[in-house]
This record gives sequence, C-alpha cells and structure tokens, in this order.
Amino acid sequence: MIKEFNILITGVGGQGVILMSELLGKSAVKEELKVRGSEILGMAVRGGSVTSIIRIGDDVYGPLIPMGKCDTLIGMEPSEALRNITYLSKSSLVILNTAAIVPFTVSLGQSKYPSLEEILEKLGNASGRIIKLDAVQTAQQAGSSLTTNIVMLGALFGTELLPISIETIKESIQARFPAKIAPVNIKAFELGYQACRRALK
Amino acid sequence: MKELTISSDAPGERLFVLGNEAIARGAIEAGVQVAAAYPGTPSSEILETLAGVAKELDMYVEWSTNEKVAFEVALAASICGVRAMACMKHVGVNVAHDPLMTASYIGAKGGLVLLSADDPWAWSSQNEQDTRYIALQGYIPILEPSSVQEAKDMMADAFELSEEFKHLFMVRSVTRIGHARSDIVLGEISRERRKGSFEKDPSWLVYTPAVARRNKPLMIERFEEIKKRVNILSYNQLKLADGAKLGIIACGLSYSYTIEAVKWLGIEDKVSILKIGTPHPLPEELVVKLLNSVGEILVVEELDPFVELHVKALAGEANIPVKIHGKDLVPVIGELSTRKVTEAIARLTDSKPPADFAELDKLEQETAPLLPWRPPALCPGCSHRASLYAIKTASKRVARDYGKDVEPIYPGDIGCYCLGVNPPLEAVDTTICMGGSFGIANGLAHVVEAPIIAHLGDSTFFHAGIPPLIDAVYNKANITMVILDNSATAMTGFQPHPGTGYTATGDETIQLKIEDIARACGVKFVEVIDPFDLKKATATIEKAIRFDGPAVIVSRRLCAMIEQREKRKRKEKVIPYYIDQDKCNIKCDACIELLGCPAIIKQDGKTIIDSLLCTGCGICAQICPYKAIIEEKE
Repeated sequence: MIKEFNILITGVGGQGVILMSELLGKSAVKEELKVRGSEILGMAVRGGSVTSIIRIGDDVYGPLIPMGKCDTLIGMEPSEALRNITYLSKSSLVILNTAAIVPFTVSLGQSKYPSLEEILEKLGNASGRIIKLDAVQTAQQAGSSLTTNIVMLGALFGTELLPISIETIKESIQARFPAKIAPVNIKAFELGYQACRRALK
Repeated sequence: MKELTISSDAPGERLFVLGNEAIARGAIEAGVQVAAAYPGTPSSEILETLAGVAKELDMYVEWSTNEKVAFEVALAASICGVRAMACMKHVGVNVAHDPLMTASYIGAKGGLVLLSADDPWAWSSQNEQDTRYIALQGYIPILEPSSVQEAKDMMADAFELSEEFKHLFMVRSVTRIGHARSDIVLGEISRERRKGSFEKDPSWLVYTPAVARRNKPLMIERFEEIKKRVNILSYNQLKLADGAKLGIIACGLSYSYTIEAVKWLGIEDKVSILKIGTPHPLPEELVVKLLNSVGEILVVEELDPFVELHVKALAGEANIPVKIHGKDLVPVIGELSTRKVTEAIARLTDSKPPADFAELDKLEQETAPLLPWRPPALCPGCSHRASLYAIKTASKRVARDYGKDVEPIYPGDIGCYCLGVNPPLEAVDTTICMGGSFGIANGLAHVVEAPIIAHLGDSTFFHAGIPPLIDAVYNKANITMVILDNSATAMTGFQPHPGTGYTATGDETIQLKIEDIARACGVKFVEVIDPFDLKKATATIEKAIRFDGPAVIVSRRLCAMIEQREKRKRKEKVIPYYIDQDKCNIKCDACIELLGCPAIIKQDGKTIIDSLLCTGCGICAQICPYKAIIEEKE
C-alpha cells in the first residue's frame, strides 16, 4: 500500500484546476485508496492564484502538504508554479505547462513577469526534475484549448508514479463530460501522457 | 452499476466529497427536515447540496434573507419537534447572535444544529473571528471535527445529542474542513419524517424577564449534563504514552496536523495526545488525567487560545504543577499547518525538524520579488466595473462644487465589488460588514462635508441594507445609495435571493424590485440605470448626488459570468472588441489605466484586447478618447 503521495496543482482561476483534483480524487477512491486534499475557492478565484492539493496514501491525515513534501507539482502556469516553490524538494517532480498567463498588473506597470528561463532555473534548483510541455498547444491539437487541464492530467499519469490505473482515470474522465466532448478530453489525456513519456525517455 | 451520489442510501460505501458536501450528508443521514442559510464562504456548498436533493428526500430547504432569519426558521422547526439546521459563515453568526443567545434558554425539541464555518487566514472574509467564543457566551456545546469524515459523523450525531439533551448544538467547521476533499464512508439515511406541531407554552417560549429567570437555571442544568457526557464521547480521545514528558492537546483540525507532525518527528511513542472534539464544554476529566501524567503541555488549536485558557484554569484550580504552552509557540494568526505544529513540538521535545525550514523560508524570500502580483480582479465584462467607474466620474464632478480639495467618499460593502478597492478603480473607502456601506454613509453625512456615495450588491441589500436605508430617510442623511444589482449572490456562487424570482429549490416566487422597496421606504429620488450606458448612467448618478436628501440608484446588469453561461446555453456568440492599432495612441493607455479590465493587455509594445477573455461589454470603447476600440464583425 502507498504511504504518502502528495500532488500540488497550481494555476490561475478558470484553468480547471479544481476539476483535475476532483478527477484524481474520484479515481483514487475507486482504487480503494485513502485521499485527502483541499483548495481555495471564493474570493481567491476571480482571476487570482489557485492551488489544489491531492494527497493519497495510508499516512495522510491533514488537508495540506507540509513544506518540502510535494512529490509532484503540476504547474498549469509558470509563475504560479514558482509561487509554490517551497513545497518542493530534491525528490520532487515538476510538470510545467510553459504557456504563461500574464496578470493585468503587469500591463498596469505594477509588477513584472519573470522570464521562463529564470523560472525554470529556480524550479530546477529546488526540485529533482522538470518536465516541460506547451499544454495549450497540445490541447489545441486534441481539439480544444479548454482541455489544457486534461493534457496536464495525462502528463501526470505519463510519469507512471501514480497508484491509479490509466483505465480508472479514463473512466472518470468519460463519466465527467457529456458524451459529445468526452472523446476530445480522452484524446487530450493521451497526448499529455505521450508527451510526458517522450520527455522522460 | 449506478454511480453513488450524496443522497445514495448505501451504508458502508465510500464516496469522494467536498467537506461541505460531507456536512450536508451528515444532516441527511440524521433525517434533517428543515435547513436554512445565507450564503457565505466557506459554508455555501452545504445548503446548495441540501437544496439539490430537497425534493427527492422530502426536506424543506431555503436561502434566507440573512443569517438571523435562517436561524429563526430552524429554531421554529425545532420548537415544533422537527429536526432543523442553520448554516452560515463565522461572521454570519454575529447576525444571528440575537436569537442565538435566547435559543439556548429554549433548548431544542427537534434536533437543532447551528453550523458555523470559520475562516482562519480570512481567505474570503473581513476578519478571522473565532466563533467558539459566541458558543461559550450562549452555553452552546461545540463539536469541532478533525477531518471531513468526522465532520459528517459529527453533523449526524449533533442532531441525536441535541434531542437527547434537549439543547442546541453548534458544529464548528473551518475553511480546511469545508473546502477540503476526502473519501468518506457513508452511513444509513434516516427516512423518519415528522409532522411539526406547535404547542403553546409561554413559560418556555415567551421571554419576559420572569421566564428568562425561570429558564436560565434549567439551561445550566442541561449544560452540566452535557459537560459530563463529553468525557465519554468518542470524539474526545486520550492516548497516554509511557513515560511521556509532553502532553499535546489538539483541538479539531489541529489534531490532523499534530498526528502528521509527531510522525514526521518520529516521536509517536514519546508524547501523550488528547484529541479534543468538543472544545466547549471541554472533557475536563480527560484533561486533568493528562495534566497529571506529564510535565509539560502544548495546546494546539487554530485562532484564539480558547481551549488553552480553559486548560490553564483547570490546572490552576486542581493545583497541578504543569507548564502549559499554547499561543506562545503556536501562531494565533492564520491557519495552522503540519510545519507550524512540527516546529512547536520540536522545541518542546528537543527533536530536529526533518526539513530545513529556515532554508525554505530563505528560498521563499528570494523568490517573492520575482513573482508577478496576481490579485483577484473584477471579471472582464463585470457590470460593477462600469458602475464604479460611473460613480467615480459623477462624484468627482460634484466634489468640485464642494471645494478645491474635497474628495468624494465611497463606503463599500461585502461582495465582489470590494475588489474595486484596487487600482485603477480605487472606488471603495470602507468595507466592514454586510450592509455597513449604508450605515457608515449615514454617520459620515453628519460629520463631513463631501459627496458620500455608498454602494452594495443586491443580495447584500436584502440582507442588511434596508434598515440603514430607512435610517437615511428618517434622519435626513444627504447620501447617495447605489445598489449594484447583478441579479445574483455572485461572490459565493450565484445563489438566488429575493430579487431573483426563484427559490433555493428552483421554484418560482415573487421577484422583489429594489426600486419599489426604496420608494416604499420614502426615498424621493429613485432611478434605475444600465451601467453599460456609461454616459447616461453617469449623468443620472450625478443628479442623484446633487439631490437634496437621500437618493437611491439601482444599477442593473446581469453578472457577466451568468450572462456568459446563458449565452453558451443559447449558443449565442460572444462578439469581442479589438483595438484598431492605426487609431490607438500608444502613449494614452486610458483603457488600461481607468478600467483595469483583465482582457486589455500590453503585448510587444501594443495595447491589445484578448479576444478569449473579452465579453463584448464595450465599456472600454465608450471611454477611448481616440475611438480606437471597435466591435469585431461577426
């Protein structure tokens, strides 16, 4: 049995972060695993930063990941991944969507957006490995940029670190979407999965 | 196989849920028949969940006008022998405070449960109030869950306990319970449905001074009985470790952090732990047992030293020479975490934290300057942006007449529109409590000479905006009150309210018009505007501000998020705007600097509109001095 596997998903309101943890949690329960997690909703989601946590295993109790104990960080947006750098350790894996969402405060001249190189360097120093992909582009290949979150979910499964089978997560995706758009999402999942496998080779 | 849902009667099965769904499930299992609430993060999903299954399970579920009414609805049902609950966020309990303090004299006939959802770190609130003190004041026992599963179980048990002791119970949730996710094991659903009956009994229900004096001792007697019971309630658990020097008392969710912390430190067998599920009344026998067995105590609880003070009093009373730590080592501000609890325990046990927290803090400090500021913002196409812009433009025109340096004052309120405090709008000068904008405006009118333009949302108006509006009429306050009517309780998830024309369970009902209410209250200047017609809206607001006496403006435009959703349903296309780069003066920046719409961005030295974000509201086109912003052709 798995003792503790901590997944942190970071992004921006509207990217489908919460849906990813719902799918992960449901699938983990189907596999008879213990799941804990939490998220920040409400005030914080109006275009603001969003984080969602999913923890799987017999040793997890609390809703939060202790600092430095994240196993996999899914960065839906580069600067939001950087914002959560203290959850990482040398044994963490980062899966990063390289497509930036620049906040309006940058246009207003109130803040600056760091370069991707700078973000990658910082995350690289803090973690064990980074898998980069342009998930928005991959999602468009699948048929809709709205499936960016499912591409990233596919990439997470591409690491083959999760104690959840591909069949189970695919079943959850099928069940979650109307029949008309489920195939696009399954395709997005597969493309994300393959992108991760390629990156790991 | 049929997929399990929150209403499945499938005892023993596991379901993955949000904490607030688990709380609703607990009430469903207990056979709750009446549930009432006013929306508020982090509590809103509880009533939403119940409303979704109300008809199927034969329950009465309502969104009440405010928390006071919600609690009274539940109290009445309990008086009639029916199981009932009211749920609200921590500050909502303040609104219900008045009936609550007498409700504990009444007690309960049908199980009566109040759910308070506290918000440590004020993720979505105006303060981090610890509601346990209100329960303390009212002799109301508290159940405080350590996990989502326990939240469900406690909720179900609270109804049983309430009926057994004929007393009202509170379940205290926090953000990391209500908005946590977990698998839970389902229990059996009670199908019992009682018919309410009201028995006239003035000595129980009519609170004249004599009745208050008669019933207070009875209330205290009930509370004393509960005090005895909590020592054997399974939610309180004492685990003594042989030869332990340190005893940890962990209350509610803090218990889960404590369990992880001692494991992380590898000292599971070296500390004694008392898990507290009832911070009020405290299981005193268990506490004394622990105090007598160790040399040092650490009380771990979120927010105030509620349990800590009580434990210190017990130690003093029983003359036990034990050093008691709490808020000297565990932060009084914000949420706890495994890290914070680990550090406190490490200090008292001379153990070494497994992670180098100082190094991680350094990393955080180094990273902070690199991060772009990403505050929550009014959505693209939000009608509040247009309303606040119009309010500011009109007020500034009038302020000139008051004197050279006079600035208009904008008392604001609780809702999405408080995001208007940020640049560039900066149209909110106070945000204190529900309805506070109008109340503060009344006070200002009698002490300062400046245009005073207060604003609040439609749901907030029904909740607490009407008494201060009447106050302005009665006491002749020369203020302008703007109701930003977007036909939704938007910030908490678009719940319906008395102005929407339908109920929590989707039934059609009378749709109250805010302008009718204002006129009926005696306001002589009442106008309805469309904020998307900026010119006309601004002129009307200016007239209202210049009006001698209280004036009301209803600024009406559907919430952009709902409108987008409905357009998608109708398969209607959203037609965005674009910036004609030939006409745009790149040095101007008026659209960006005046509106702060997330859809207008700078890219490669040009100002452009993100066509995926733009909802086509056209406000920017109305203010562009170069007429460079144009609607795309279909």
